[in-house]
Amino acid sequence: MPQTIAFFDRVDHALHDSSLQTALHRATTRFIGNRAGAIGALSDADRLRDQARAIRAHALAHLDELLPQLAANVETRGGHVCWASDGEEARRYIIELARARGVRSIVKSKSMASEEIHLNEALEEAGFEVVETDLGEYIIQLAGETPSHIIAPAIHKTREQVSELFQQHLGMPPTTEVPPMIRTARQALRQRFLQADMGISGVNFGVADSGAIVIVENEGNARLSTTVPRIHVAIMGIERIVARLADLGVMLQVLARSATGQKLSVYTSLISGPARPGEEDGPEEFHLILLDNGRSRILGGHYAESLLCIRCGACLNACPVYQAIGGHAYGGVYSGPIGAVLTPLLQPDLPDAYLLPQASSLCGACQEVCPVRIAIPDLLLRHRADAVKAGKFHPVEKAAIASYTLTMTHPAIYNAGGKAGRFFSRILARRGRFRRLPPPLHLWTKQRDFPALPPKSFREMWAERKKQRQSSS
Amino acid sequence: MSREQILANLRTSLNANRPWLQAEAERMPHEAPPFVLPAQDDVVGQFVAELAKLEGKAYRVASADEALAIIDRLIEETHATSVIGWDLDQIGLPGLPELLAARGITPAKADVRGEGRKARLQELEPIPICLSGAELAIAESGTLLLRHGPGKPRLASLLAPCHIAVIFRRQLVRGLGEALALLAQRYGDEIFGPTSNLTFITGPSRTADIEMTLSLGIHGPPQIHVIVVEG
Repeated sequence: MPQTIAFFDRVDHALHDSSLQTALHRATTRFIGNRAGAIGALSDADRLRDQARAIRAHALAHLDELLPQLAANVETRGGHVCWASDGEEARRYIIELARARGVRSIVKSKSMASEEIHLNEALEEAGFEVVETDLGEYIIQLAGETPSHIIAPAIHKTREQVSELFQQHLGMPPTTEVPPMIRTARQALRQRFLQADMGISGVNFGVADSGAIVIVENEGNARLSTTVPRIHVAIMGIERIVARLADLGVMLQVLARSATGQKLSVYTSLISGPARPGEEDGPEEFHLILLDNGRSRILGGHYAESLLCIRCGACLNACPVYQAIGGHAYGGVYSGPIGAVLTPLLQPDLPDAYLLPQASSLCGACQEVCPVRIAIPDLLLRHRADAVKAGKFHPVEKAAIASYTLTMTHPAIYNAGGKAGRFFSRILARRGRFRRLPPPLHLWTKQRDFPALPPKSFREMWAERKKQRQSSS
Repeated sequence: MSREQILANLRTSLNANRPWLQAEAERMPHEAPPFVLPAQDDVVGQFVAELAKLEGKAYRVASADEALAIIDRLIEETHATSVIGWDLDQIGLPGLPELLAARGITPAKADVRGEGRKARLQELEPIPICLSGAELAIAESGTLLLRHGPGKPRLASLLAPCHIAVIFRRQLVRGLGEALALLAQRYGDEIFGPTSNLTFITGPSRTADIEMTLSLGIHGPPQIHVIVVEG
């Protein structure tokens, strides 16, 4: 199966990329610490998270009413709404709109939904100039890469690599200092904003009762993208909704803290339709794309809980697997634990998507930090079961699991196996570890050592202890 | 029609999963708490401290004259000959029109709509100062809430590298929940009637996209000065 090799190849590549390892360690450690501090400072973090979950569950339970309500309110305010069943419909709507309005250049602020439908490629193919304006997204666009983290798309890049890109594309003088790079990017992108005809943004929340969308960001590129060009197009996954404006009093509190450890993100914009008569600035046209792309069906299955997700990225940072392999190894648009749940659902065409739920130790750190308490490990287990049912795994793996089951349910076999394991540990392991195991177990030791079994098993020690107690009493 | 198809799918899906989603929704009341951190006595002090943590500057002043002195100093420092601003009566600081007039400054209108939009944007681009008021300010996060609209353009807190905002003690609330409740009380369903945009601003524009190194002013203003008038 060549596709299985692709996933393992990406993992292998990531594990041997030392600058990626440094960057991942730095970023995830920082994010985890910041989040813990911000959540810990709350008077009642648990209650707030329970509330966030309840608010999101309410939104999903009433999605069939809330979406039409949101759409109607957007239209009342003079906006246009496009219901897109899939990426193709969304892309076509945007391209036709851009052509009809004589658009030449487009600025984009970060949108995972647009990544999901490969919008940039489609727009470029149609002849439009598209510039990502979030600094991280801009860097990876210049490099021809994809985001490696929901919140920090370019964490895999070193400052030297960024400097080279800016020298090459923007004519920046050589430097490894960050401030001149920031100034260079600001100047280059500022002109892009001022000359753009259309701005495309994502949506953090659609607010049904107000006909507003919420965009959360730190840089100001989303504000510029949605204020300066004369047309604003916002792309929203249909599940990203809350019923009431008041719900933001809970959702924004947990989103920023979970994502970056901030109390609130620097800019939170609530946008309802195009500029009104009498407003000096703002776009003349506002278009909201409601993107389904499989979500309406996911809502009816046993992965519905994954639609509660608010894309904070906390589970990525907390995950020991993500910490080791980073976002690109996952191969899909969404990475980390929630990506391992979403990718097989939203990008089922990816050949090795079914392997992603295997890339987890089921330690539960993701669920522990999730602001809406999604039971990610349960969802991963469901994926695994579904993949087995679908016959995705090799008969050898099935046989291995069957013998594991046999061993674990028969004490005599378990004991015999343990004895054999301890014997081999004694003669083959070095310093308490196996560096290499024979095939097919070498697949395990290819990336990591296998711990040797201790000289005595717990059961043996227990039995000895019991004997000693009896003899001493 | 995709709309009908999507809604039909949603209804079918919800036939299966609405009960447990509804049960999850009812586990907790949805009402946002008015604030989420332990309450402090000195709300102004809290606001000033929070903004300082974000490398924004906040000044608590007792009178309009003190506020004017700060604005005067910032104009001098930035060598501003123009500002992108709200209508001055929307800011409501007594003496501000006179100060600007004395400095020879006519606030530029951020009137970019209609023909000549891009040309007008290029004219506004070199202006060094943004000048605005705010609807409310949130103490526990150091946040300004700007309700944009006629006379209160969005660019007046976005385009220039230095954003000066003037607020009054009475506009300060403790938390986000309280701010949203006040908005609902003031405007009801018409929050978005005359305006297309509300923006919460919490500190200067920032990014950590290069090696997690914090840098200010990547797109929005690197400097934010909030003057809290207590008198």
